[in-house]
Amino acid sequence: MQKNDAQEIAEIRKTLKEMLVKDLALEDIKPEDIKDDAVLFGEGLGLDSLDAVEIVVLLQRNFGLEVKDMENRKDIFYSIDSLAKYVHENRKKT
Amino acid sequence: MAQQINFSKKRGNQLGFWFFRTALKLFGLSGAYGLLYFVCLYYLLFDRLAVSAGMAYIKRRFKTYNFLQRIFGVYGLFINQGKNLIDRYYIHSGLGQFDIELQGYDKIRSLLASSQKGVILLTAHVGNWQVTMTVLKQFGKTVYLLMSPEENAAVKNALNIDSDREMLRIISNENFLGGVVEVMKVISEGSLVSIMGDRSDGYPSTEAYFLGEKAYFPYGAFSIAAAAQCPVVVLLSAKTSAKKYVVDVSHVIFPRYNSRADKKDALNKCVREFAGIMEDYAIKYPFQWFVFRDIWKRQN
Repeated sequence: MQKNDAQEIAEIRKTLKEMLVKDLALEDIKPEDIKDDAVLFGEGLGLDSLDAVEIVVLLQRNFGLEVKDMENRKDIFYSIDSLAKYVHENRKKT
Repeated sequence: MAQQINFSKKRGNQLGFWFFRTALKLFGLSGAYGLLYFVCLYYLLFDRLAVSAGMAYIKRRFKTYNFLQRIFGVYGLFINQGKNLIDRYYIHSGLGQFDIELQGYDKIRSLLASSQKGVILLTAHVGNWQVTMTVLKQFGKTVYLLMSPEENAAVKNALNIDSDREMLRIISNENFLGGVVEVMKVISEGSLVSIMGDRSDGYPSTEAYFLGEKAYFPYGAFSIAAAAQCPVVVLLSAKTSAKKYVVDVSHVIFPRYNSRADKKDALNKCVREFAGIMEDYAIKYPFQWFVFRDIWKRQN
């Protein structure tokens, strides 16, 4: 069971990396170049607050997550890994 | 940024507000206005930072003015801003009311009725936005102001921000990610979010010709609106006579882009449209735009 969760999180991480590179048009970065623990904002991937808006929309659109659940959750947006774990725990099962 | 905070702190203190409140109660509006001419003269003579901040706008708005005329222009800005603060307290304390004409009411009402989402109210340091917020109560929605929490307790108290009665709330732009996640949330709940659009103050900005020169306006409001798929309503107000304000919400901008590649052009177009609206305002009400920043210089 734990292995399945780990696999699912790994798949989500991969999807997130692909989404960020494509939808945020990250220049000169390939999804596979992004480390799992890469910090999203500031140093790290260097995203800013307006990129956060895009990420919120991507999470809504691709995983059915609601923005009200993300409010004041600094921990969610820390890294690819934290984002993936949040998605895994909260996405709507279809 | 440190300069901005100092600028705010120097201008408001409890004693100063008490002084004007007392004058207002004893001598009425014209008496309190009268005091302003002396107080503003003090700032004109001794507050070089404030004069410099006002001069950036005045010298572009009135290109043919000589130095003395420009100084008087800055003096006019100081006085009008002081009048607006007095007017706000006048209403808030129940001493009297102003006639307020709301232009574009049907348009914003229709926008709110056609969607579950709220709108972004893109405003500027013009006219009297505190009075404007009072008018917005008729929409029955909570209005969130995306701004720095007031450093100065005296100013916050005078404006009565963040009280239940006023249905005004502050979302701090010092929160995580500049408060944008909270903004997205309250828009999705149908609330109104007011964002200042005339000062970039270090936030991402883009160029637009303004009063004949290249200026820099922030585009964050348009970026958020595009993501939230909500309209941007330009919210401006002006004092048109001693006892009357006009509040204009008739300009609506719909930021949209189909792909990431289109985003920059789409947002630039929105900013240019907003700059055009602001230029029309500056021409019509030259002494009611209290930007007090050199927006023609890119801010770090």
